[in-house]
Amino acid sequence: MRALNKDTIIAILLLLFCGLLAWSSLHIRLPGYGTLKPSTWPQIIVAVLTLFSAIYFVQSLSYPGTDDDKGDGRKPGFAGFLEYFRNPIICFSIYFVFLATLPWAGALIGGILLVFALLTVLGGWTPRDLVRHAIYATVSMGFMWTLFTFGLRVILPEGEIFSIR
Amino acid sequence: MEHILAALAEIATVNTLLLMSAGAIAGLLAGAIPGFTIAMAVVLTLPFTFSMTASQGIATMIGVFVGGLSGGLMSGILIGIPGTPSSVATTFDGFPMARQGRPGLALGLGVWSSFFGGIISAICLIAIAPQLARIGLEFQPWDYFALVFFALTITASLAGKNLIKGLISGALGLLIATVGEEDINGVSRFDFGSDYLQEGFAFLPVLIGLFAFSQLMGDIRNPAEARRSLVQTGDIDIRIEHMKAAKIVLSRWTNLVRSSIIGIFTGILPAAGSSISNILAYDQAKKASPTPEKFGTGTEDGIIAPEASNNATAGGSLITMMALGIPGDIVTAVMLGALLIHDVVPSPSFITEAPVLAYSIFIAFFFANFLVLFFQSVALKLFVLVTKVKMYVLAGIILAYCGIGVFALNNIVNDMWTLLIFGVVGYAMRNLGFPLAPMILGVVLGPIAERWLARAVALSTDMTNFITHPWSVFFLTLSLFSMGFGVYQRERGKKVWPFYYTPVMVLALAPAMFMMEGFIRPGIGIVMVAGGLYALYRAHQKAVYFKTAAKEST
Repeated sequence: MRALNKDTIIAILLLLFCGLLAWSSLHIRLPGYGTLKPSTWPQIIVAVLTLFSAIYFVQSLSYPGTDDDKGDGRKPGFAGFLEYFRNPIICFSIYFVFLATLPWAGALIGGILLVFALLTVLGGWTPRDLVRHAIYATVSMGFMWTLFTFGLRVILPEGEIFSIR
Repeated sequence: MEHILAALAEIATVNTLLLMSAGAIAGLLAGAIPGFTIAMAVVLTLPFTFSMTASQGIATMIGVFVGGLSGGLMSGILIGIPGTPSSVATTFDGFPMARQGRPGLALGLGVWSSFFGGIISAICLIAIAPQLARIGLEFQPWDYFALVFFALTITASLAGKNLIKGLISGALGLLIATVGEEDINGVSRFDFGSDYLQEGFAFLPVLIGLFAFSQLMGDIRNPAEARRSLVQTGDIDIRIEHMKAAKIVLSRWTNLVRSSIIGIFTGILPAAGSSISNILAYDQAKKASPTPEKFGTGTEDGIIAPEASNNATAGGSLITMMALGIPGDIVTAVMLGALLIHDVVPSPSFITEAPVLAYSIFIAFFFANFLVLFFQSVALKLFVLVTKVKMYVLAGIILAYCGIGVFALNNIVNDMWTLLIFGVVGYAMRNLGFPLAPMILGVVLGPIAERWLARAVALSTDMTNFITHPWSVFFLTLSLFSMGFGVYQRERGKKVWPFYYTPVMVLALAPAMFMMEGFIRPGIGIVMVAGGLYALYRAHQKAVYFKTAAKEST
């Protein structure tokens, strides 16, 4: 039996997602007023999405070799995936940590650390790089923080550690 | 007249002009840097516009838009890499001319063609949009819904290579917009018991996440490329030859006007943008030229045509947005979103209901062309500086800016989480071959479509209203053909049926014209029937010839 191609797996996931949404749409509260029920529009969209996903599923079975990433030089397997998407995965993870620690570090300190970490991971960590990245991070975030706080009057998240927004 | 003066008073202030100038310079730079799109520049401008008035915010974004269209020519001419898809054809002759030792003239021709193309389209915008918008006064909820439904079907045209993936992307966009409390009854949908989902997804974090965040991730994916400078160039010291170029452009006025009209028309058509118009104009200029063999070797007409048309496209797309309230491309979709943030809902009655804001947009577009012309030399110097920055430095700083920018919308950290989530979603979709433009269109238009459907159903539950109101019939018919447009584009020249597509569409639209009141529109309907039948006859002849040729070749 042939292994499922990427498109087929995505189509199956989409169909499962549609099933979940269809189930959820049945539990949308009906207020008893208004002519168009709050569930009608979402149900129309879910029906349309289900139809498209089903067509995609059938297409993926008929044309098994239509993967878009063929020839991108990626090694097979999970290790190949991690290697190929190393930078985006690290960046998303750093961003996650930045948001998770935002209430503690605040926008200014957290932002400087975010830019510094991103630049260091992406650009290298020789002593010279570290100094350069620290300067870039401090100047750029300092500028943005000043612009938004004083120029646009935005109250940015305040950190617990130094109580600096 | 009083509206124009009031709009002029809004735009011609020091503050607004400074903001527009900053926008124009930012747009010129974004357009010049390969890998940065105009849409991304406009998206990243959005957070700054919250604290501005609606007219100031839109004026700034128009500055970025016009700047971006003009900026692409710098890198295209100087290094042979078009900064944006709208400047692809400029490279064909601009780069050879620069290599022949005339970079100053090549830049000058590009700059002045962009300027004149923009001005011609600004005049058309001011003349056509208000006339077209008068039709909007006749619209009832059924017509509005049909119009928005038509705009949604544009997703099929924006789908690119894979139609079904584009349609799925559009439907997912509609779905994203339904999450959380709905506007009409305040009922929560698809929240799964989570307070975060109950709030719904704000438009801006979704947009920046899908578009800017995911694109930056794509830019830094390759570690080696991320550490390179943006463009590998040496020092550039060029002066733009303004006087000589302006004279040449004006002496080629037929090419200039033809290309501008192509640009405006392409802009008016939903889903066709400057990336198409510049190539179309270049092709027409070549066909009309007495020396077509010189195209591609550094000819002046080869720079004038694409640059005039790509800037003229902006005016065309603004006509559709202003007169009908529907976005024709991703940039106008973002602008529509910006107007929504300022509680302004563009619709066919927009110009009548908010005339000062509407005329502010017209005037801002007019001014933006002058500002871009003025700042081109400044931007050229900045461009040379920016090209020395490494990609990862720019990406790291912009990622941080994205977070701070979306927080500024509602001052809630949840929006930053939304940014991250949709950054991941957008990046995954890009890599899986799903186009993002239909999704963004779905996010913008979904709530508008639902609102009009609710109003239509509240007035009458009789669904035949959709086929008894002429404008509704017109747009629903157009929607049917729009849905098939992607397949039509793909199969044109390969199969017989695409020959009949346009004539049948014209004939199918004629009954809606006959349903309209008065004499003029039914008269147009008669012309459409006659023209459609003739076009059908010509299409049949071509189809027979095509079949014969296909048989002979086999």
